[in-house]
Amino acid sequence: MLRKGITGSFGAAIHGLNTPQLTDGVINRSKRMMLDTLGVGLIGTRTDVFKKALAYSKLFRSDEMSRVWGQTELSLPPPYAAFVNGIAVHSMDFDDTWHPATHPSGAVLPALLALAKTLPRPPSGLDLLLAFNVGIEVQGRLMRFSREAYSIPERFHPPSVVGVMGSAAASAKLLGLSPAQCAHALAIAASSAGAPLANAATQTKPLHVGNAARRGLEAAQLARMGLEGNPDILDVSGGFGVYYKDYGPSAMEGSSSTDFRWILEDQDVAFKRIPAHLGMHWAVDAALAARAKLVAAVGNFDLGRVRKVTLRVPPSKYVNCAFPATEHQARHSFQFNASSALLDNKVTVSSFSRAHVDRPALKELLSKVQVETPGDNPPSFDQMYCEVEIETAQGQSHAARCDTFYGHWRKPLSQEDLVEKFSVNASSVLCTEGVEGVIDVVGNIESVRECSILNAYLSMTSGEEEQLYSTRSM
Amino acid sequence: MISTLQKTIRPFWAVRGLHRSAVEDLKRPAPEDTVTASYGKFISEVKPQHLSPVVLHRSKRMVLDSIGVGLIGSTTDVFELVLRHCQHMYAPDHISSVYGRGGTRLSPILAAFVNGVATHSMDFDDTWHPATHPSGAVLPAVLALSDMLPANSKPSGLDFLLAFNVGLEIQGRLMRFSNEAQNIPKRFHPPTVVGTMGSAAACARLLSLDDSQCGHALAIAASLAGAPMANAATQSKPLHIGNASRLGLEAALLASQGLEASPLILDAVAGVAGFSAFYEDYVPQPIPSPDADGHMFLLEEQDIGFKRFPAHLGMHWVADAAASVHNLLVGVDHGTVSQAKVQEILLRVPKSKYINRPFPESEHEARHSFQFNACTALLDGEVNVQSFSPASMRRPELLALLSRVHVEHPKDNPASFNSMYGEIQVTLVGGEVLRGRCDTFYGHWRNPLSNESLRKKFRNNAGAVLPSEKVEALIDAVEEMDKREDCCALLSHLH
Repeated sequence: MLRKGITGSFGAAIHGLNTPQLTDGVINRSKRMMLDTLGVGLIGTRTDVFKKALAYSKLFRSDEMSRVWGQTELSLPPPYAAFVNGIAVHSMDFDDTWHPATHPSGAVLPALLALAKTLPRPPSGLDLLLAFNVGIEVQGRLMRFSREAYSIPERFHPPSVVGVMGSAAASAKLLGLSPAQCAHALAIAASSAGAPLANAATQTKPLHVGNAARRGLEAAQLARMGLEGNPDILDVSGGFGVYYKDYGPSAMEGSSSTDFRWILEDQDVAFKRIPAHLGMHWAVDAALAARAKLVAAVGNFDLGRVRKVTLRVPPSKYVNCAFPATEHQARHSFQFNASSALLDNKVTVSSFSRAHVDRPALKELLSKVQVETPGDNPPSFDQMYCEVEIETAQGQSHAARCDTFYGHWRKPLSQEDLVEKFSVNASSVLCTEGVEGVIDVVGNIESVRECSILNAYLSMTSGEEEQLYSTRSM
Repeated sequence: MISTLQKTIRPFWAVRGLHRSAVEDLKRPAPEDTVTASYGKFISEVKPQHLSPVVLHRSKRMVLDSIGVGLIGSTTDVFELVLRHCQHMYAPDHISSVYGRGGTRLSPILAAFVNGVATHSMDFDDTWHPATHPSGAVLPAVLALSDMLPANSKPSGLDFLLAFNVGLEIQGRLMRFSNEAQNIPKRFHPPTVVGTMGSAAACARLLSLDDSQCGHALAIAASLAGAPMANAATQSKPLHIGNASRLGLEAALLASQGLEASPLILDAVAGVAGFSAFYEDYVPQPIPSPDADGHMFLLEEQDIGFKRFPAHLGMHWVADAAASVHNLLVGVDHGTVSQAKVQEILLRVPKSKYINRPFPESEHEARHSFQFNACTALLDGEVNVQSFSPASMRRPELLALLSRVHVEHPKDNPASFNSMYGEIQVTLVGGEVLRGRCDTFYGHWRNPLSNESLRKKFRNNAGAVLPSEKVEALIDAVEEMDKREDCCALLSHLH
């Protein structure tokens, strides 16, 4: 069914949206997203996957280079800076998640910061904020074109589908492309979309976000040089709709329209407290609560006295992993995260180190875990729950349920806790001046004259060649 | 709509919420038994002696044709654009050659990209069955990688040909995993799906990666595959091949660095799509390990189609049919066809939206228009490179003919390059009706181009860019390739 004009409306909106349209609510939420993204990106530069991607990317040179985060003096050609920084952001599955599900910021912010470096006139903080929100908005709009997008994915990994489109839109905005060029940027980006879900829970997953950032940026650059794609890419069958089983697009209202409302205004993101798939957060919160009940009853947690642990979770094959062998699998395992929470009374960055994953005690506990998928537990980040029930050898049962974990959009992280997460992450790489500098710049970004100062702070390393932990996948 | 296959193997526990003990999870297949592992093994173990004479012969023809179309493709606007993009965004890196540009070298990835774009820029490159453009996705990557390898370990001509054939073989095998791949595509453009995988396989082979790394190269490539059909018939289409080539090379390089991805990427896993994500129906099969008895390459059983003019394969049927009517009209005088004599034109072609264009507005659209190619052949007796120039496209007599075309989609004309036909029925002003039909155009795999015709096409293409000594040297270099110690000779003549 040919419905003309939808792609054109997106092109017009990307071009036409301007800083007066940014509301306080959206500014506030998007600044939190930027800060969190930079923090997880910084700590992500210490991962094995980042190092491999960086080694590869150093094959390339260009006259204008952009900074690689968390390195004192390292730059790469802009698309590759976007690539490695995007990989860093998603390397530990620590980045933000939206509803419908995707990781929106990691696909956009690295591209914008890389691009900003190449512009003849450095963009202001407000320019950056606007382009960022355009990139987020386009992703949100595209996900609302299908019912499929509302459930935990099974076929394509969402950042690889909508993320590259968001990156193209944001980059086109920052480059000041015409409406037609903005539409072509989307069309070119569509030919770079779509990675299969099977690479989630592997070392390659972070590349989905890195590639979204890089290829969206490239799409905008090619559009600026005059390359054209299908001007109705969002409208026609055989267009963007190929990534979905059901697809019903609609036009984006003009920025001048009084009806325009940012999706971020109505639908916040979730920030993670644990570097693991979002679903794990329910399991951890429920496990911690069940553990507390057990301890209250018998005084302590004794692994030997646990007979069985039952997890009641939504059906989702790629996060159901009884015995994860790698850190990547561990981040995508209900069983692992619940067990870690029970054993250690917390789940943190170091819970996914080789040493922690291999602990005999953990493996013993894992062998006692069973997974159930009740019919009333839908695979949707908006509606799922997790229940953890511990059965002791004495025949007692202690159960707890988590409907909304702390950090979910229904129960957002306080500003203090968000900044704390950033500080802990950033401090693993930057010196104090750098950490505080980033907090300051992002916190006041709408008043910052030139956002290039951000890059300077992102390069203020503490000088310690700190390894995240000894990571080697099996 | 979940495919029947996936429904039948969906684990019962997911549907009914029953208990599933951890022990059952241990019953997943041993790593060596997976389809993915079989592919990793094949790529790492296959050797030059597994190439039969037929496969050597056919693949050398493909290499020659691909270079030729790449060379003439270096004269197009889209090539110019992407080359400028690469030079603008990246510093010169004097490693890999660019078709037709003597003074220009780029990093291997970018060279693979621009050369791939050149290859597909005019839709002049080869087509296989099931449908894809196999060579353009593989050859630029293998050439770029060969340039990258150090002087004392350049691949021999035979190594080069082996890598090239591995790239083709993997593409052919992957397309046989689904029924969807047998028909003219509707969703994903096949070169972006299988081409990327083929390039990764070829490069993994050339880099001599081990079986595990070869498997990971394929898996990494899968995350770089897939582009929608809607960008066909636009200026972006050539980038599909360019990207397939470049990203496959990238996947192999990342795998050689130790990057890992899904070990089940080619296998069918319910609830988690791997390579299957790109198809509605998907039944993968392992590839047998090449052994002492050899390996039957698909190219042995299924030859390639070469194009005689730069347009979508489907155009060749209607062009041949229309040309025969042209000959009837002009008779022995070889006069011109006057559009005033034609009242009506009826085309009977398979149903395929992206090649049904009554009034194409760009050269890209014209290459994907049954109507345009039929009318051009009716008018001129043939379709050639010049038919798509702005001047040719704007001819009033051509536009007049276009306005008189109707298209029918007979039920017995399937949208498959293996079974379709093209029929034209021209009603003259006087009432006379002339008919032409083509079941198999010259150049199709059932009626392959002779070696002379292939070389003639190559000379026309390469000659547009290179002096005739280099053109002839290239012909010789490709012909003798399997006997050469290294492929340097080939590489040096490309510009």
